[in-house]
Amino acid sequence: MKKTIFAGVLSVSALAFAGCGSEDAANTAGEDGNFEPSKTIEMVAPAGSGGGWDTTAREVARVFGETEIIDENMTVINREGGGGAIGWAYVHGKEGDAHSMFVASPPLMFVPLNGQSEHGHEDFTPLANMIADYGAFAVREDSEFEDLNDLFDQMKDDPESITVIGTSAPGSMDHMQFVRIAKAAGVDPTKIKYVSDQEGGALTAVLNGSVDVFSTGVGETIEQVRAGNIKVLGVTAEERMEGEVLSEFPTAIEQGIDESFVNWRGFFGPPGMDQAAVDYYEAKFQELSESEEFAEVREKYGWNEMYMGSEEYSEFLETEKEEIASLLEEIGLGQ
Amino acid sequence: MLASINRKLGLLLFIVAAVYLYLSFQLPNYEYAPIDADVIPKGLGILLLVLSVFLFFSRVVETDAEKAKRNIPKKELGVIAAVFAMIFVYILLFEAIGFIITTTLFIFFCSWFLGYRAWKTNILVSLLFPIVMYAIFVFALGIVLPRGILPF
Amino acid sequence: MDAFQGLLTGFQVALSLEGIMFVLIGVVVGTLIGMMPGLGPISAIAIMIPITYGMDPAPALVMMAGVYYGAVFGGSTSSILLNAPGISGTVATAFDGYPMAQQGKAGKALAIAAISSFVGGTVSVVMLMLLAPALSSVAISFGPPAYFALMFMGLTAISSLSEGSTIKAMIAAVAGFMVVTIGIDPQTGTQRFTFGNVNLFDGFDFLIIALGLFAVAEVCMLILNRKNRSLSDDQKLGSLKLSKADLKEMSGPVSRQSFVGFLLGVLPGAGATIASFISYIFEKRIAKNPEEFGKGSIKGLAAPESSNNAATSGAFVPLLSLGIPGSGTTAVMLGAFLVLGVQPGPLLMTDRPEIFWGIIASMYLGNVFLLILNLPLIPYLAKILSIPRPLLISLVIMFSLIGVYSISFNVFDLYMLLVFGALGFAMRIFSFPAPPFILAFILGGMMEQAFRQSMTISNGSLSIFVDSPLPLSLLLVALISLLVPAFLKWRSNRLAYKQR
Repeated sequence: MKKTIFAGVLSVSALAFAGCGSEDAANTAGEDGNFEPSKTIEMVAPAGSGGGWDTTAREVARVFGETEIIDENMTVINREGGGGAIGWAYVHGKEGDAHSMFVASPPLMFVPLNGQSEHGHEDFTPLANMIADYGAFAVREDSEFEDLNDLFDQMKDDPESITVIGTSAPGSMDHMQFVRIAKAAGVDPTKIKYVSDQEGGALTAVLNGSVDVFSTGVGETIEQVRAGNIKVLGVTAEERMEGEVLSEFPTAIEQGIDESFVNWRGFFGPPGMDQAAVDYYEAKFQELSESEEFAEVREKYGWNEMYMGSEEYSEFLETEKEEIASLLEEIGLGQ
Repeated sequence: MLASINRKLGLLLFIVAAVYLYLSFQLPNYEYAPIDADVIPKGLGILLLVLSVFLFFSRVVETDAEKAKRNIPKKELGVIAAVFAMIFVYILLFEAIGFIITTTLFIFFCSWFLGYRAWKTNILVSLLFPIVMYAIFVFALGIVLPRGILPF
Repeated sequence: MDAFQGLLTGFQVALSLEGIMFVLIGVVVGTLIGMMPGLGPISAIAIMIPITYGMDPAPALVMMAGVYYGAVFGGSTSSILLNAPGISGTVATAFDGYPMAQQGKAGKALAIAAISSFVGGTVSVVMLMLLAPALSSVAISFGPPAYFALMFMGLTAISSLSEGSTIKAMIAAVAGFMVVTIGIDPQTGTQRFTFGNVNLFDGFDFLIIALGLFAVAEVCMLILNRKNRSLSDDQKLGSLKLSKADLKEMSGPVSRQSFVGFLLGVLPGAGATIASFISYIFEKRIAKNPEEFGKGSIKGLAAPESSNNAATSGAFVPLLSLGIPGSGTTAVMLGAFLVLGVQPGPLLMTDRPEIFWGIIASMYLGNVFLLILNLPLIPYLAKILSIPRPLLISLVIMFSLIGVYSISFNVFDLYMLLVFGALGFAMRIFSFPAPPFILAFILGGMMEQAFRQSMTISNGSLSIFVDSPLPLSLLLVALISLLVPAFLKWRSNRLAYKQR
């Protein structure tokens, strides 16, 4: 019932409203060329409540407020639809607005590359990347596969015998992170069987043996691994992660497959945001990223720190997009 | 002429089915699924095509109750159309002018138009309902409704 | 720790002063939000998440659970009174609840809904308590082929959902199925019938269809009859007296559908909406007087109401014991757990027994609270129907618009509400039944996806549906339920022919 997911506009606090009256006083740059926000900052989660984007936006807004790193109020609003496209179009319409931003992750590349959004990351102003998450490939505990190479060898011999399941549509994250690693291991990327289940049945289908491999985020696997229901054959991180269960997950790289995939998560402003404003937010995000309070948040959700400033972020995104585009091209999904 | 309404409906549905089917055939191919995205739509299109033909030739006699339902005076249809038009205008202005004003105007004029002449009560309800709803949504639940041109 | 000991721990949490207070807050907020059209359990939970920051996890989650089933409990009110389903799980409630209210028995209808909900909720909590660990294996036993079979079984019931022309019922169903194909296809990422319009990429929200086809279409009928006296303010309207015969009539459907609802709730992806429909059809199939269904039948009201509440508790099985959210609502619920630092899953019961059992124990309490709170409200709620017709019409239109807007905050969806309202009205005039349309919309989409997932897994071989016992038996049931009525009809026709 993904469609019923509520996409309300929730203010983080009712107080946010008090700030709205002073709208006319909004100025973008102070006299000395420094930027200070002068009204409530609108943070858009281009999805409904409860998902990854929404949670990140809300936690960031909350910690910004509690630590008083940014004094002005931050309101999180949800603009759901089109896998993010509706929210992106909404922010895109606010050209030059220095009091508006949105949270994003790889779908900001996948969705436009699949021809489902007019706007991609290059249409916005990157502010900062905050966290990194990684993909995990899991099988049932009693599976014959012990590591990624077992799995990929089988896929090379008999590609029809293996089905991969994920939550996103083909050509999007769960699919492409698997394709990327599998291709690096020598599997023919055009022969990978992938099914999508958006109604919450993906893990179920792995547990009852309907499909073989679950391509998902690392966080989704921890509890099931602890309970001994599934095992993680490999994760897409560059090096071993830290954490109680996480540190047991082997990376693809240490299994001799030289490829990785980061599920980055960061913040973007509307196109044409003033450089002074970009500098301001960049610094504030860095302060947030280094704060103890945000470290606790990362701990709580099992996120990894991955701060990148605006420029570095831009370059990183360019490289990522090129790689993904050529991969999509190769399996015939590029638009 | 009993069957004629079924004929008209059958014809209309036949056209709908044909358009839908045409669009189904335009769907792009995807190589990796044994059952592609166009299979079910094509099936549905054909099914509706067949059903519309059945309906066209169906000799089921319309019951009196069914007939009575269809028998709506033109004037009443006009009233419904007018209400729909009001809703349309409401939606058009909803975000620009804001929830409270548009809702007040809608409730008052729609009720009045439909023959509600107790104008004092009408004004009271048209004012109270939007304000109460707005307060509940925005202040109690934290769900933002369009503020529009009002300052709060 | 065995279940009994666990439950003791649970009741210690639930019956503490703190526990009682938070259950109460949860169910009150839940019912009120559920009564608002468009605002369902998902919004209710999402709204409450920020409030729980910094709270102790056990009372906080007891409250969140209360919000969830409270919203389902309250969702039936607007279905019954206004034909405007408050949440998707109460669409089937309107089938008989609304006609009953129109016959001047609004209070009775609301009372039946409340009692059915209470029983459904309570029976399923008992099952949740006794069977949660055992049922976790049921929850994961359904793979794509079994889901396909289940949805197919549901769809075969279409003919029984309507009176009159079978052709028209089938046309309505095909149309509903067609509407659900609009949007981006999950299996291939292909855009189907979107015309490149971003607003259509995710397809239509179920509530847009339900409110359009039911509430807005009903508004049109009310406009035609606006000169009739509004439902009089005679005392019967608000009276919630149920006779012994009424209670007896309810008892069968309620006891059966509490189980059915619970079991369907356990399955990820099925949930309260599908449960309520299947229960409705189930009861109509076995009823001695199926022709009363849709015209204010007590059974037809009691069945979906007990079922959707039972399904709500059922949905806690995969969530609590497996950490699998089976629906959008439980996914947000899972988020609420995580925010409080609790990871639901197979280890919850041993790691945090006070939370696992606390939630379950609090549900007994919550259901009692809901009943006690709701019954005295009924006479006042029922008074809504004595509002003069023209004013009532305007208000129902507003409720529907606000409801749709608060789902997506997209004005485009409001226009679509208008379109589906017009469609619903046309369907009424030309005697096309709306329930098959809605049912095909819900089941069709899931059925198509499950079918195509299965076919990808099996490399295109249909044998996947008959190779394992679960899908096979479900398909057989579907087949029997299709063939038996047809055979009976054929035989009675032949008999009639012979006698002539």
